Amino acid sequence: MNARVRLAAVPFLSARPLTYGIERGLAEDRFELIFDSPEGCARRVESGLAELALVPSATYRSLSLALSPALSLEPPFERGRDCRVVPRVAAVVRDALPSEFADQHSLGALSGSVDDWRRRSGLPFVSLLWSGRSGAIGAEVANLLEQSLEQGLARMRDIASAFAESHGGDPAAHERYLAHSMGYRLGSEEMSGLGAFLEHLRMAESPEATDRVPTRIRLFDFAYAQENAKPAAQPVERKKTPMLERKKTPMPGLDRLLSDAAAGNRVSIAEAIRLYENAPLLDLGRAADERRRFLHPQNRVTYIIDRNVNYTNLCVTACKFCNFYRPAKSKDAYTLSREVLAQKFSETVAMGGIQILLQGGVNPQLRLDYYEELFRWTKANFPLALHALSPEEVSFIARQEQLSIREVLERLVAAGLDSLPGGGAEILDDEIRQRISPLKCSTDTWIAVMREAHALGLRTTATLVFGFGETCEHIVKHLDRLRALQDQTAGFTAFICWPFQAEGTRLRLGDDTTAQRYLRVFSLARLYLDNFPNLQVSWPTMGPAIGQVALRFGGNDFGSAMIEENVVSQAGAVFKLSAEDIERRVRAAGFVPRRRNMRYELLPDCSDAGATCLRGQHAAVGERDAKVPSLGA
Amino acid sequence: MSFLEIKDKVRAGEPLGFDDGVALFGHPNLLELGQLANDVRERLHGQRTYFNRNMHINATNVCVASCRFCSFARLKAGDPGAYTLSLQEAWGRLRARVEAKDPITEIHIVNGLHDGLPFSYYTELLAGLKKICPTVHLKAFTAVEIFFFHQHFGLPVVEVLTQLRAAGLDSLPGGGAEIFAPRVRRKVCADKCDGDQWMDVHRTAHGMGLRSNCTMLYGHIETIEERVEHLLRLRALQDETGGFQTFIPLAFHPDGNALQRLAPPTGVDDLRTFAVSRLLLHNIPHLKAYWVMLGLKTAQTAQWFGADDLDGTVQEERIYHMAGAETPQRLGVSDIVRLIAQAGRLPVERDTLYNVLAEGGELVSTKPYRRSLAPSAGVVS
Repeated sequence: MNARVRLAAVPFLSARPLTYGIERGLAEDRFELIFDSPEGCARRVESGLAELALVPSATYRSLSLALSPALSLEPPFERGRDCRVVPRVAAVVRDALPSEFADQHSLGALSGSVDDWRRRSGLPFVSLLWSGRSGAIGAEVANLLEQSLEQGLARMRDIASAFAESHGGDPAAHERYLAHSMGYRLGSEEMSGLGAFLEHLRMAESPEATDRVPTRIRLFDFAYAQENAKPAAQPVERKKTPMLERKKTPMPGLDRLLSDAAAGNRVSIAEAIRLYENAPLLDLGRAADERRRFLHPQNRVTYIIDRNVNYTNLCVTACKFCNFYRPAKSKDAYTLSREVLAQKFSETVAMGGIQILLQGGVNPQLRLDYYEELFRWTKANFPLALHALSPEEVSFIARQEQLSIREVLERLVAAGLDSLPGGGAEILDDEIRQRISPLKCSTDTWIAVMREAHALGLRTTATLVFGFGETCEHIVKHLDRLRALQDQTAGFTAFICWPFQAEGTRLRLGDDTTAQRYLRVFSLARLYLDNFPNLQVSWPTMGPAIGQVALRFGGNDFGSAMIEENVVSQAGAVFKLSAEDIERRVRAAGFVPRRRNMRYELLPDCSDAGATCLRGQHAAVGERDAKVPSLGA
Repeated sequence: MSFLEIKDKVRAGEPLGFDDGVALFGHPNLLELGQLANDVRERLHGQRTYFNRNMHINATNVCVASCRFCSFARLKAGDPGAYTLSLQEAWGRLRARVEAKDPITEIHIVNGLHDGLPFSYYTELLAGLKKICPTVHLKAFTAVEIFFFHQHFGLPVVEVLTQLRAAGLDSLPGGGAEIFAPRVRRKVCADKCDGDQWMDVHRTAHGMGLRSNCTMLYGHIETIEERVEHLLRLRALQDETGGFQTFIPLAFHPDGNALQRLAPPTGVDDLRTFAVSRLLLHNIPHLKAYWVMLGLKTAQTAQWFGADDLDGTVQEERIYHMAGAETPQRLGVSDIVRLIAQAGRLPVERDTLYNVLAEGGELVSTKPYRRSLAPSAGVVS
């Protein structure tokens, strides 16, 4: 580009830091700055009298509609090659809207105030943006716009007093307003806010629009220019088939999105989908690894010794993906007797176990008092924590006893319940749940049980099982439900995901359950669940090798040296690891292994002199054993 | 040697040195290492991942050598578990595939060092297979076997190879290299040919225009330095002859052999070894993640750590399965294609010499996918 770039900007106070540097002669030979009304700015860009305009976001929206469809905002990224570009600087309202904004500029067809918007959406309101046609500017111009802002941010006081001189008002109030009510960076949260706002506007303007292609905004990214400057990679001729279509070349903006996410910036649903679909495996993994390092700088990987006891396999839920349950009439249906449980529990204690993970089928023959007595008996006889009953079991008991979930949980806690496992979440989307487990609790119930548990001070885990033919959007929305609840309660200790294990079950889906997909979902979860402290790898389903590798894709917990496991092993996953084996693998991945309890508190270090440690007391069960060992028989 | 300096060298296409190799094995950031190897891999092969339709014949497990890492060999004919296929049985394996209209392109033949079979057993084996299917490529006999034939039958190596080629031999597999360092060989495989002899067999084969593969058995008692040295010796021979097509890192499996007290290499070890191999062996075009040995999950993941090949459909592999490999005995083409596509790569069916037979959409079956429910454990005898 040789000609000067024509910039049209609104003369609002909140816009001044953005144009400050340019007004003061930054890159004079590159820019021509014109002040105009929002409509004037928009018209200039439309008619080609300006390359870029700094306009209210609502205008941006109507602007895009006024232009040809190829330039509008709607097409998703893949199709929207000619989207506008927006530099990563903008005016973001943190607090109240400035009086100078007439409502038609700021909020368009949306009724109510910015405060309403913020309350409703929980997202920042992006008021002013640089927008223009794609191709109008390159990395150099975007850089200069950033510099202009940086100079402005450094001279807030000058801006405030100059504005007071020309427009009146108290310079100190102006300065406070700029410093406290406004922000100027478009992070992932701001982008979510902008996207949501534009979407909202679109719906307000044309409520009849039924084909809902969400509005997406394309950011200008410096990485884009750099990527384009690189010599093109060796072209690969490839034939398009539905199965192979998923491969895409890296896209502009991904690097920035990944580094933002790695730095702990909140990832929006749209961004997560974009990352999942487009980021190369190792890029996604490295960002997750960085995030993990930030959250766990001590380089520790924890694990627990516990035993998974499935007290009953009788189940009325009859999920299609389950190979463990037996219907009530089945000869193989069992409920473990106290004698068997006592033996399993004492073995667990003898082997250094500190917890029982107690889960079963949904067995209508067992009432609340069964669990209360079982828990009391356990606590009276064994030094074991009870990580027991998934939300499905809890909600079933509540229905059966006609008690509220809270009442059930309170009684169970009084009897000795320590924490809740996060099983039964599968995919928290009712459409998918209807298909694979129609009798199981709904998404809302699952969330409600966890909310009540957290309110009572219980800690719980959260899970996700993929491979049921769900889309990436289902997965991200599942993560979003978890993240939203965690924002409110902070009661989740860890997140665990794994692919559906199909062998022997009634579900023949042929969905992608490979290691590659696991690592992608896992790293994405590390980035998305920014408020979850721990991510546990699932070696029982993925095998010790990929379990270990996942520690480099964002994992910081190796799960359990499981003494017993009956569910996924019934569907083809047959791995076993001893504590020593786990520690060896953790070390080989470059971490320091530490034992923990369910609350992720560290237990005394085994390598400390004098610390009592039961390490390796139980025989290592070969991980390649094809059968579940009968330790409990 | 810092990682950045190594990265610059790799980007500039300069060969890495011994110290670079050792530094890479110690580099703490596994994914950074993987990305560098992936850059090289994509420079060489783009998005392609190769596989072929092949079958294995392990004609005998009777072996005069007693390598401590081996769970396959039996010392004498008649020992429990010892077997030797009759020529009819061996040919029958191929005939069954041909009758099943299975379009295999390669037979991989690796055997124990049986001291009771005549040389004609091997030449007739090859000739008979070629007679049943003239187009099939016979990738047969590791350098260790060739060297054993040379000693046992009193023929020069070049003569052994000439006669085998006349009978139908097309190329040599890369097995038996283990770790070249004499210290390691003395301890784990004292009775087989040494590193120089292994190299000589391949040098001779390359000189005759035969292609071959090469391997490294890692994760037992060798040091990192010994691994690097091994890789650099392979690279040096490749500089000399250009005859290696593929390097295959082989993870040690401990079940049922004399080293079973050793812990096997972990997943991170495997991926690291793939990445470093890709970076050190700049002159060997292909790097194979042999799924039978690695397991499908790690083999798939290795496609992002430098590997560009998965081996083939493999029928009746016995050597690794007797050492505890849990992988299936075979994979269908649709399973392999799917595995590659789900790794985000472009599946390419090749022949043994890496001629492309079909790729991408041509390989995708129009029939809906059915999960293979073949039992995964146990050895078929």
